[in-house]
Amino acid sequence: MASSPGQSAFKDNRRVIIFALLAPVLAFFIVFNTIPTLWLLGLSFHKFSLLSGMPPEFFGFRNFQDIFRNRNGIWGDLGRTFTFVGVGVLVQTTLGILLGFLFWGSKDMPGRRLALTLLFTPMVLTPVATGTFFRFIYDPTFGVLNALVGWMSPTGTIDFLGNPQIAFWAVLAVDCWMWTPFMTLMTLAALGSVPKAELEAAEIDRLSWPKRVSLVIWHHGKFILMLGILLRTIDSFKTLDLIIPMTKGGPGQTTRLVAVELNKQSFESFNMGWSSAYSVLLLLISIAMTSMFIFILNRRRKGR
Amino acid sequence: MASIVIENLTKTFGTFTAIKQMNATFADGQVTCLLGPSGCGKTTLMRMIVGLEKPTSGRILFDDRDMANLPPRKRNVGMVFQYPVMYQTLSVEENLALPLEQDKSLSSAERARRIDEVLDVLDMRDKRKLFIGDLDAGSRQKVAVGRAVARRSDIVLFDEPTTNVEVHAKLLLIRAFKLVTQRLRQTIVYVTHDQTEAMTLADNVALMKDGKILQYDTPSALYETPATEFAGWFLGNPGMNFPPAELSGATVKTPLSSLPLTASATGLPKGDYRIGVRPEHVDVLVAPRPGSVPAVVRDMNVTIAGRFIVTLDVGGATVKAKTNGRPPVAVGAPAHIGIDPAHVSLYRDGVRVADVTGHAA
Repeated sequence: MASSPGQSAFKDNRRVIIFALLAPVLAFFIVFNTIPTLWLLGLSFHKFSLLSGMPPEFFGFRNFQDIFRNRNGIWGDLGRTFTFVGVGVLVQTTLGILLGFLFWGSKDMPGRRLALTLLFTPMVLTPVATGTFFRFIYDPTFGVLNALVGWMSPTGTIDFLGNPQIAFWAVLAVDCWMWTPFMTLMTLAALGSVPKAELEAAEIDRLSWPKRVSLVIWHHGKFILMLGILLRTIDSFKTLDLIIPMTKGGPGQTTRLVAVELNKQSFESFNMGWSSAYSVLLLLISIAMTSMFIFILNRRRKGR
Repeated sequence: MASIVIENLTKTFGTFTAIKQMNATFADGQVTCLLGPSGCGKTTLMRMIVGLEKPTSGRILFDDRDMANLPPRKRNVGMVFQYPVMYQTLSVEENLALPLEQDKSLSSAERARRIDEVLDVLDMRDKRKLFIGDLDAGSRQKVAVGRAVARRSDIVLFDEPTTNVEVHAKLLLIRAFKLVTQRLRQTIVYVTHDQTEAMTLADNVALMKDGKILQYDTPSALYETPATEFAGWFLGNPGMNFPPAELSGATVKTPLSSLPLTASATGLPKGDYRIGVRPEHVDVLVAPRPGSVPAVVRDMNVTIAGRFIVTLDVGGATVKAKTNGRPPVAVGAPAHIGIDPAHVSLYRDGVRVADVTGHAA
């Protein structure tokens, strides 16, 4: 079919408009995302310290070799971080789901709105402020928590952040305090996506609660819930600002997560080449975790 | 089996009253249609019967068992929703089996037999292994119907089940529904705003308006002798004609008849009197006949099955007539209309008060 001149002009116009609308975003993305990432990738093959005043020197895979040979104990950091992410996300998800069901099932309870608002406050606080407050709460001499549970220790005080056996779990507990509300929010959103008629039908059909959850609620809510878990995992993997005011990675290295060490190497020791290599590795790990989640989310019912 | 007894039932949502002091009995083993315009409280009434809403006051009994504070799962009812509910990870067969599995007293052979029976009635034998993605809205709704009836609960409720189903599938669904009801003889309450559906399916129709049942009657009685002007107007397409009338003793005078009519009652008090006559009982004539009056044709429209709806002006009143085939008159031309007294009722202030027995001597 011969297209009229007017039509083709319109088509060309459309293309121009699409490009014109996208151009600012693309430019922004390239300048502030793509170029720095490529720069980072390039820098990871160089020896470069801001303190030496020397220009970057090509170094091959030496930075990566350093990392695999466990310079600065980074395998310990990675293991600790995976424990932090695994236990943290598991606890936050479990508690979040329980609280979500609690609030979902008590729609007529007076004060529900207020309770929900209060519950969500930890989530909106600045992590640095939260960390600072918890340093005071955990303080061995004048901290509130010691006044309450200090008697449990034979010495009469518990140094939550100073004791290498406790510090990691004390920090993890703060992370859970802060982010369980997020999983509650995601649970409520997931439950809200379940059609009311299906829940009512399940009640009339006399289904047991486990059946209702597996046949109706999980089917409709799983995507939103898994999305919440994914966001929490990525976010938890790069926890830094919560730890800095509480322990700075100590005592020893017991609360040193990957982001803490990366922050120290790059912005305190200005070890740019090595830090870039480390960042590239962490980026690859993040991508791998995200891909796994997306694979699980897209997995369809067996045999269909 | 159980009848549904409603005693002084009231339901309010904030300041809005959905159901007002309702009393009714829906007979055991019969199909009752709750019919009425949007917002008349029919769905609320059904949701209270099934237990999804709590009455503000009053009682609902199944036979003599008070249902107060019993959750839906303990009421032994089935329900089909407007939105076709099908458990999406289960096949058609598994969907039908699910409510049966909750009843531990049934043997697995009995369960299989009931599933087969329901599949037969719904004409879905070849679809038993399919999932929701393979079915159209009508078939999904059939699965929902099957799930609700396979349990053989005492009572099954239908909440506008054909709303989201396209026309052809709707007819199949209604046919399947009729078969199911004839086979199982459960007490059925069926909510609809579609009068054709109500007339086709129901043993009895409860016509509702503003939270009240205006009339509870068989479909034919409801159609032929509506108890209120609202019922006459709401049922039929177009609704009943209500031209003014004058009553003296038992004699009724109306612009639609040159001969006075006789009412079956005498000594009625003063009020706004009208006669009610269905458009299909208004005859459009070319030549006058005894009792007919002259009229002017104002409008004429063809409708379903080659019928015509004719709008006529008669001495200040407007009357609609329904004819089989094209009437022998033209728009703007004079004509005559005659009414059959056997199909005329007398209304005072919107309520039916008497039959009309024939022309006065």
